[in-house]
Amino acid sequence: MLRITSISGNIHDGRPHDADSEHLCMSRIELEKSRLRRETDGGTDVGLSLDPGMTLRDGDILAGGNRPIIIRQLAERVISVKLDDPGMRVLAGHIIGNRHRPIAVENDVIYFPAQADSELEVFEKLFAGIGATLSMEKRVFTPHTGAEIHEH
Amino acid sequence: MKMKRIPRIGIGGPVGSGKSMLIERVVPMLAAKGYSISIISNDVISKEDADRMRENLATKRGLLPENLVIGLATGGCPHTAVREDPSMNISVIEELEEKHPELDLIIIESGGDNITTTFSPRLADYFIYIIDVAGGDKYPRKGGLGIESCDLLVINKTDLAPLVGASLEIMKDDAQRIRGKRPFVFVNCMTDEGVGTVAGRIIHDVLFDSEKA
Repeated sequence: MLRITSISGNIHDGRPHDADSEHLCMSRIELEKSRLRRETDGGTDVGLSLDPGMTLRDGDILAGGNRPIIIRQLAERVISVKLDDPGMRVLAGHIIGNRHRPIAVENDVIYFPAQADSELEVFEKLFAGIGATLSMEKRVFTPHTGAEIHEH
Repeated sequence: MKMKRIPRIGIGGPVGSGKSMLIERVVPMLAAKGYSISIISNDVISKEDADRMRENLATKRGLLPENLVIGLATGGCPHTAVREDPSMNISVIEELEEKHPELDLIIIESGGDNITTTFSPRLADYFIYIIDVAGGDKYPRKGGLGIESCDLLVINKTDLAPLVGASLEIMKDDAQRIRGKRPFVFVNCMTDEGVGTVAGRIIHDVLFDSEKA
Protein backbone atom coordinates (compact mmCIF):
# COMPACT_ATOMS: atom_id res chain seq x y z
CA MET A 1 0.00 0.00 0.00
CA LEU A 2 1.23 3.47 -0.91
CA ARG A 3 0.64 5.77 2.07
CA ILE A 4 -0.02 9.39 1.16
CA THR A 5 -0.15 12.16 3.75
CA SER A 6 -0.06 15.35 1.71
CA ILE A 7 -1.25 16.97 -1.52
CA SER A 8 1.50 18.19 -3.81
CA GLY A 9 -0.54 20.52 -6.03
CA ASN A 10 -3.55 20.79 -8.29
CA ILE A 11 -3.69 20.54 -12.07
CA HIS A 12 -6.30 23.33 -12.19
CA ASP A 13 -3.81 25.76 -10.64
CA GLY A 14 -1.76 25.62 -13.81
CA ARG A 15 0.79 23.34 -12.25
CA PRO A 16 2.47 21.27 -14.94
CA HIS A 17 2.05 17.57 -14.46
CA ASP A 18 3.31 14.45 -16.03
CA ALA A 19 0.94 13.18 -18.71
CA ASP A 20 1.80 9.70 -17.57
CA SER A 21 -0.34 9.65 -14.45
CA GLU A 22 -2.84 7.49 -12.64
CA HIS A 23 -6.29 8.57 -11.50
CA LEU A 24 -8.29 8.11 -8.36
CA CYS A 25 -12.00 8.66 -9.02
CA MET A 26 -13.99 9.73 -5.97
CA SER A 27 -17.44 11.04 -5.15
CA ARG A 28 -17.92 14.50 -3.66
CA ILE A 29 -18.70 12.97 -0.28
CA GLU A 30 -15.53 10.85 -0.39
CA LEU A 31 -13.47 13.94 -1.16
CA GLU A 32 -14.34 15.32 2.27
CA LYS A 33 -12.66 12.42 4.04
CA SER A 34 -9.14 12.74 5.34
CA ARG A 35 -8.55 9.00 5.63
CA LEU A 36 -9.48 6.32 3.12
CA ARG A 37 -8.09 3.43 1.12
CA ARG A 38 -8.73 3.07 -2.59
CA GLU A 39 -7.20 1.64 -5.73
CA THR A 40 -6.25 3.90 -8.66
CA ASP A 41 -7.15 3.13 -12.27
CA GLY A 42 -3.56 1.95 -12.61
CA GLY A 43 -4.04 -0.58 -9.83
CA THR A 44 -2.03 1.25 -7.14
CA ASP A 45 -3.33 0.55 -3.63
CA VAL A 46 -3.45 3.98 -1.95
CA GLY A 47 -3.93 4.66 1.77
CA LEU A 48 -4.73 8.32 2.19
CA SER A 49 -4.15 9.86 5.60
CA LEU A 50 -4.30 13.65 5.50
CA ASP A 51 -3.96 16.08 8.38
CA PRO A 52 -7.27 16.99 10.06
CA GLY A 53 -9.09 19.70 8.17
CA MET A 54 -7.29 19.00 4.91
CA THR A 55 -9.61 17.74 2.18
CA LEU A 56 -9.23 16.80 -1.45
CA ARG A 57 -10.60 18.53 -4.52
CA ASP A 58 -10.84 17.64 -8.17
CA GLY A 59 -7.43 17.85 -9.82
CA ASP A 60 -5.32 17.38 -6.70
CA ILE A 61 -2.00 15.66 -7.34
CA LEU A 62 -0.73 13.00 -4.97
CA ALA A 63 2.97 12.25 -5.21
CA GLY A 64 5.06 9.48 -3.75
CA GLY A 65 4.33 6.59 -6.08
CA ASN A 66 5.97 5.62 -9.33
CA ARG A 67 3.67 7.98 -11.21
CA PRO A 68 1.68 11.01 -9.99
CA ILE A 69 -1.91 10.25 -8.99
CA ILE A 70 -4.59 12.75 -9.94
CA ILE A 71 -7.90 13.03 -8.08
CA ARG A 72 -10.97 13.04 -10.29
CA GLN A 73 -14.32 13.95 -8.80
CA LEU A 74 -17.17 11.81 -10.12
CA ALA A 75 -20.22 13.42 -11.69
CA GLU A 76 -23.39 13.12 -9.63
CA ARG A 77 -27.12 13.61 -10.05
CA VAL A 78 -28.05 17.27 -9.62
CA ILE A 79 -31.14 19.40 -10.17
CA SER A 80 -30.70 22.73 -11.93
CA VAL A 81 -33.06 25.65 -11.38
CA LYS A 82 -33.34 28.57 -13.76
CA LEU A 83 -35.62 31.29 -12.44
CA ASP A 84 -37.83 33.30 -14.80
CA ASP A 85 -37.50 36.28 -12.46
CA PRO A 86 -34.14 36.68 -10.65
CA GLY A 87 -36.04 38.59 -7.95
CA MET A 88 -37.28 35.21 -6.73
CA ARG A 89 -33.79 34.07 -5.71
CA VAL A 90 -34.45 34.43 -1.99
CA LEU A 91 -37.54 32.23 -2.26
CA ALA A 92 -35.53 29.65 -4.23
CA GLY A 93 -32.84 29.69 -1.56
CA HIS A 94 -35.50 29.24 1.11
CA ILE A 95 -36.94 26.17 -0.65
CA ILE A 96 -33.58 24.48 -1.24
CA GLY A 97 -32.16 25.50 2.13
CA ASN A 98 -35.14 24.02 3.91
CA ARG A 99 -34.12 20.65 2.39
CA HIS A 100 -30.59 21.16 3.72
CA ARG A 101 -28.89 20.87 0.32
CA PRO A 102 -25.62 22.50 -0.61
CA ILE A 103 -25.87 24.72 -3.70
CA ALA A 104 -23.71 26.01 -6.49
CA VAL A 105 -24.56 28.95 -8.73
CA GLU A 106 -23.20 29.26 -12.24
CA ASN A 107 -24.40 31.72 -14.89
CA ASP A 108 -27.61 32.40 -12.94
CA VAL A 109 -28.45 28.70 -12.73
CA ILE A 110 -28.72 27.14 -9.25
CA TYR A 111 -27.54 23.55 -8.84
CA PHE A 112 -28.04 21.20 -5.91
CA PRO A 113 -27.62 17.43 -5.43
CA ALA A 114 -30.62 15.16 -5.89
CA GLN A 115 -31.00 12.05 -3.80
CA ALA A 116 -33.36 10.22 -6.18
CA ASP A 117 -34.76 10.58 -9.70
CA SER A 118 -38.19 11.17 -8.19
CA GLU A 119 -36.97 14.38 -6.56
CA LEU A 120 -37.30 16.34 -9.79
CA GLU A 121 -41.08 16.03 -9.53
CA VAL A 122 -40.99 16.93 -5.82
CA PHE A 123 -39.02 20.11 -6.44
CA GLU A 124 -41.11 21.05 -9.48
CA LYS A 125 -44.10 21.09 -7.14
CA LEU A 126 -42.20 23.15 -4.57
CA PHE A 127 -41.21 25.67 -7.22
CA ALA A 128 -44.68 25.84 -8.78
CA GLY A 129 -45.87 29.41 -8.66
CA ILE A 130 -42.40 30.94 -8.52
CA GLY A 131 -41.72 30.59 -12.24
CA ALA A 132 -38.72 28.36 -12.78
CA THR A 133 -37.43 25.70 -15.17
CA LEU A 134 -36.03 22.64 -13.44
CA SER A 135 -34.09 19.76 -14.92
CA MET A 136 -31.96 16.89 -13.76
CA GLU A 137 -28.49 16.16 -15.03
CA LYS A 138 -25.22 14.51 -14.07
CA ARG A 139 -22.33 16.85 -13.44
CA VAL A 140 -19.36 17.40 -11.19
CA PHE A 141 -20.84 19.38 -8.32
CA THR A 142 -18.67 21.76 -6.32
CA PRO A 143 -20.72 23.30 -3.52
CA HIS A 144 -20.53 26.90 -2.47
CA THR A 145 -18.60 26.77 0.79
CA GLY A 146 -19.63 30.05 2.41
CA ALA A 147 -21.62 28.16 5.02
CA GLU A 148 -21.08 24.70 6.40
CA ILE A 149 -23.91 22.70 4.93
CA HIS A 150 -25.01 19.16 5.51
CA GLU A 151 -27.46 17.04 3.59
CA HIS A 152 -30.22 14.71 4.61
CA MET B 1 1.73 19.93 20.09
CA LYS B 2 0.10 18.15 17.19
CA MET B 3 -1.82 15.13 18.38
CA LYS B 4 -1.98 11.84 16.57
CA ARG B 5 -5.25 11.48 14.71
CA ILE B 6 -6.79 8.15 15.63
CA PRO B 7 -8.82 6.51 12.84
CA ARG B 8 -12.57 6.64 13.47
CA ILE B 9 -15.49 4.66 12.18
CA GLY B 10 -19.12 5.68 12.52
CA ILE B 11 -21.91 3.13 12.82
CA GLY B 12 -25.45 4.30 12.10
CA GLY B 13 -28.80 2.73 11.39
CA PRO B 14 -32.42 2.52 12.48
CA VAL B 15 -33.47 1.79 16.06
CA GLY B 16 -33.06 -1.91 16.80
CA SER B 17 -31.08 -2.74 13.66
CA GLY B 18 -28.13 -4.03 15.71
CA LYS B 19 -25.62 -1.18 15.95
CA SER B 20 -24.53 -1.97 19.52
CA MET B 21 -24.68 -5.71 18.85
CA LEU B 22 -22.40 -5.36 15.82
CA ILE B 23 -19.91 -3.45 17.99
CA GLU B 24 -20.14 -6.14 20.69
CA ARG B 25 -19.32 -8.78 18.06
CA VAL B 26 -16.67 -7.00 16.04
CA VAL B 27 -14.62 -5.53 18.92
CA PRO B 28 -13.53 -8.95 20.28
CA MET B 29 -12.30 -9.91 16.79
CA LEU B 30 -10.28 -6.70 16.49
CA ALA B 31 -9.01 -6.94 20.08
CA ALA B 32 -7.84 -10.52 19.40
CA LYS B 33 -5.64 -9.13 16.63
CA GLY B 34 -4.07 -6.69 19.07
CA TYR B 35 -5.92 -3.47 18.22
CA SER B 36 -6.72 -1.00 21.01
CA ILE B 37 -10.21 0.40 20.69
CA SER B 38 -12.44 3.00 22.32
CA ILE B 39 -16.21 3.16 21.85
CA ILE B 40 -18.42 6.26 21.97
CA SER B 41 -22.13 5.49 22.02
CA ASN B 42 -24.53 8.33 21.23
CA ASP B 43 -28.11 8.15 22.35
CA VAL B 44 -30.79 10.77 22.80
CA ILE B 45 -31.44 10.35 26.52
CA SER B 46 -30.31 6.88 27.57
CA LYS B 47 -26.84 5.50 28.21
CA GLU B 48 -28.13 1.93 28.30
CA ASP B 49 -26.26 0.76 25.18
CA ALA B 50 -22.98 2.17 26.46
CA ASP B 51 -23.55 0.55 29.86
CA ARG B 52 -24.27 -2.82 28.22
CA MET B 53 -21.22 -2.68 25.95
CA ARG B 54 -19.03 -1.63 28.90
CA GLU B 55 -20.37 -4.52 30.96
CA ASN B 56 -19.97 -7.11 28.19
CA LEU B 57 -16.71 -5.98 26.59
CA ALA B 58 -14.81 -4.30 29.42
CA THR B 59 -16.04 -5.51 32.82
CA LYS B 60 -16.67 -9.16 31.93
CA ARG B 61 -14.08 -9.77 29.22
CA GLY B 62 -11.43 -7.13 29.83
CA LEU B 63 -11.09 -6.40 26.10
CA LEU B 64 -10.71 -2.67 26.79
CA PRO B 65 -10.64 -0.47 29.88
CA GLU B 66 -14.06 0.44 31.28
CA ASN B 67 -13.41 4.17 30.93
CA LEU B 68 -12.92 3.76 27.16
CA VAL B 69 -16.60 2.89 26.61
CA ILE B 70 -18.21 6.31 26.68
CA GLY B 71 -21.94 7.06 26.65
CA LEU B 72 -23.06 10.39 25.22
CA ALA B 73 -26.63 11.50 25.89
CA THR B 74 -27.03 14.02 23.13
CA GLY B 75 -30.59 15.26 23.46
CA GLY B 76 -32.48 16.32 20.33
CA CYS B 77 -32.47 14.46 17.01
CA PRO B 78 -30.04 11.52 16.97
CA HIS B 79 -28.42 12.54 13.69
CA THR B 80 -27.63 16.03 14.93
CA ALA B 81 -24.74 14.87 17.12
CA VAL B 82 -22.97 12.97 14.33
CA ARG B 83 -23.73 15.15 11.33
CA GLU B 84 -24.87 18.75 11.74
CA ASP B 85 -23.01 19.57 14.91
CA PRO B 86 -20.57 16.84 15.88
CA SER B 87 -18.78 19.13 18.36
CA MET B 88 -19.81 17.07 21.39
CA ASN B 89 -18.30 13.93 19.87
CA ILE B 90 -15.25 15.75 18.55
CA SER B 91 -14.42 17.16 21.99
CA VAL B 92 -14.58 13.64 23.48
CA ILE B 93 -12.34 12.35 20.67
CA GLU B 94 -9.81 15.13 21.16
CA GLU B 95 -9.59 14.23 24.83
CA LEU B 96 -9.09 10.56 23.90
CA GLU B 97 -6.37 11.48 21.40
CA GLU B 98 -4.60 13.49 24.07
CA LYS B 99 -4.85 10.96 26.90
CA HIS B 100 -4.75 7.71 24.92
CA PRO B 101 -2.44 8.04 21.92
CA GLU B 102 -1.99 4.26 22.08
CA LEU B 103 -5.47 3.75 20.62
CA ASP B 104 -5.72 2.29 17.09
CA LEU B 105 -9.41 2.92 16.50
CA ILE B 106 -12.40 4.86 17.83
CA ILE B 107 -15.86 3.46 17.08
CA ILE B 108 -18.68 6.02 17.19
CA GLU B 109 -22.20 4.65 17.40
CA SER B 110 -24.98 7.06 16.46
CA GLY B 111 -28.39 7.07 18.04
CA GLY B 112 -30.99 5.04 16.15
CA ASP B 113 -32.20 7.10 13.22
CA ASN B 114 -33.79 6.94 9.81
CA ILE B 115 -32.47 6.20 6.31
CA THR B 116 -30.94 9.64 5.88
CA THR B 117 -28.35 9.17 8.62
CA THR B 118 -24.81 10.02 7.64
CA PHE B 119 -21.72 10.96 9.62
CA SER B 120 -19.94 14.25 9.14
CA PRO B 121 -16.64 13.48 7.38
CA ARG B 122 -15.05 15.65 10.07
CA LEU B 123 -16.15 13.09 12.64
CA ALA B 124 -15.81 9.67 10.97
CA ASP B 125 -13.40 8.38 8.33
CA TYR B 126 -15.49 5.33 7.54
CA PHE B 127 -19.25 4.97 7.74
CA ILE B 128 -20.99 1.65 8.35
CA TYR B 129 -24.75 1.72 7.89
CA ILE B 130 -26.67 -1.22 9.33
CA ILE B 131 -30.21 -2.30 8.56
CA ASP B 132 -31.95 -5.54 9.41
CA VAL B 133 -33.93 -8.12 7.52
CA ALA B 134 -36.91 -7.73 9.85
CA GLY B 135 -37.42 -4.21 8.48
CA GLY B 136 -38.57 -5.91 5.24
CA ASP B 137 -36.77 -6.87 2.04
CA LYS B 138 -37.76 -3.54 0.47
CA TYR B 139 -35.20 -1.73 2.64
CA PRO B 140 -32.12 -1.68 0.34
CA ARG B 141 -34.04 -0.60 -2.78
CA LYS B 142 -35.68 2.29 -0.95
CA GLY B 143 -32.22 3.84 -0.89
CA GLY B 144 -31.55 6.97 1.12
CA LEU B 145 -28.31 8.70 1.97
CA GLY B 146 -27.27 6.14 4.59
CA ILE B 147 -27.67 3.11 2.33
CA GLU B 148 -26.27 4.84 -0.74
CA SER B 149 -23.36 6.78 0.69
CA CYS B 150 -22.00 4.52 3.43
CA ASP B 151 -18.64 2.82 3.00
CA LEU B 152 -20.06 -0.54 4.07
CA LEU B 153 -23.72 -1.58 4.17
CA VAL B 154 -24.43 -4.28 6.75
CA ILE B 155 -27.68 -6.27 6.59
CA ASN B 156 -28.27 -7.94 9.96
CA LYS B 157 -30.52 -10.69 11.33
CA THR B 158 -30.40 -12.98 8.29
CA ASP B 159 -31.85 -15.78 10.45
CA LEU B 160 -35.14 -13.88 10.70
CA ALA B 161 -35.73 -13.79 6.92
CA PRO B 162 -38.04 -16.85 6.75
CA LEU B 163 -39.95 -15.69 9.83
CA VAL B 164 -40.81 -12.28 8.40
CA GLY B 165 -41.24 -13.35 4.78
CA ALA B 166 -38.18 -11.44 3.58
CA SER B 167 -36.15 -12.61 0.58
CA LEU B 168 -32.39 -12.34 1.01
CA GLU B 169 -32.04 -12.73 -2.77
CA ILE B 170 -34.13 -9.61 -3.36
CA MET B 171 -32.14 -7.69 -0.75
CA LYS B 172 -28.88 -8.82 -2.36
CA ASP B 173 -29.96 -7.84 -5.89
CA ASP B 174 -31.26 -4.45 -4.75
CA ALA B 175 -28.17 -3.73 -2.64
CA GLN B 176 -25.95 -4.56 -5.63
CA ARG B 177 -27.97 -2.30 -7.89
CA ILE B 178 -28.08 0.64 -5.45
CA ARG B 179 -24.46 0.33 -4.27
CA GLY B 180 -22.70 -0.54 -7.53
CA LYS B 181 -19.17 -1.63 -6.73
CA ARG B 182 -19.31 -0.54 -3.11
CA PRO B 183 -19.53 -3.33 -0.56
CA PHE B 184 -22.37 -4.76 1.48
CA VAL B 185 -22.43 -7.77 3.74
CA PHE B 186 -25.10 -10.01 5.29
CA VAL B 187 -24.52 -10.72 8.97
CA ASN B 188 -26.16 -12.46 11.86
CA CYS B 189 -24.80 -10.91 15.03
CA MET B 190 -26.25 -13.73 17.12
CA THR B 191 -23.98 -16.30 15.46
CA ASP B 192 -21.13 -14.08 14.18
CA GLU B 193 -21.97 -15.05 10.58
CA GLY B 194 -20.45 -12.34 8.36
CA VAL B 195 -19.01 -10.38 11.29
CA GLY B 196 -15.48 -11.50 10.37
CA THR B 197 -15.99 -9.85 6.98
CA VAL B 198 -16.87 -6.56 8.72
CA ALA B 199 -13.74 -6.85 10.90
CA GLY B 200 -11.66 -7.60 7.78
CA ARG B 201 -13.01 -4.52 6.02
CA ILE B 202 -12.20 -2.31 9.01
CA ILE B 203 -8.67 -3.73 9.20
CA HIS B 204 -8.06 -3.22 5.47
CA ASP B 205 -9.95 -0.01 4.70
CA VAL B 206 -9.51 1.97 7.94
CA LEU B 207 -6.51 0.56 9.78
CA PHE B 208 -4.57 0.12 6.52
CA ASP B 209 -3.36 -3.32 7.50
CA SER B 210 -2.99 -6.21 5.15
CA GLU B 211 -6.12 -8.24 5.80
CA LYS B 212 -8.60 -7.97 2.99
CA ALA B 213 -12.18 -9.07 3.41
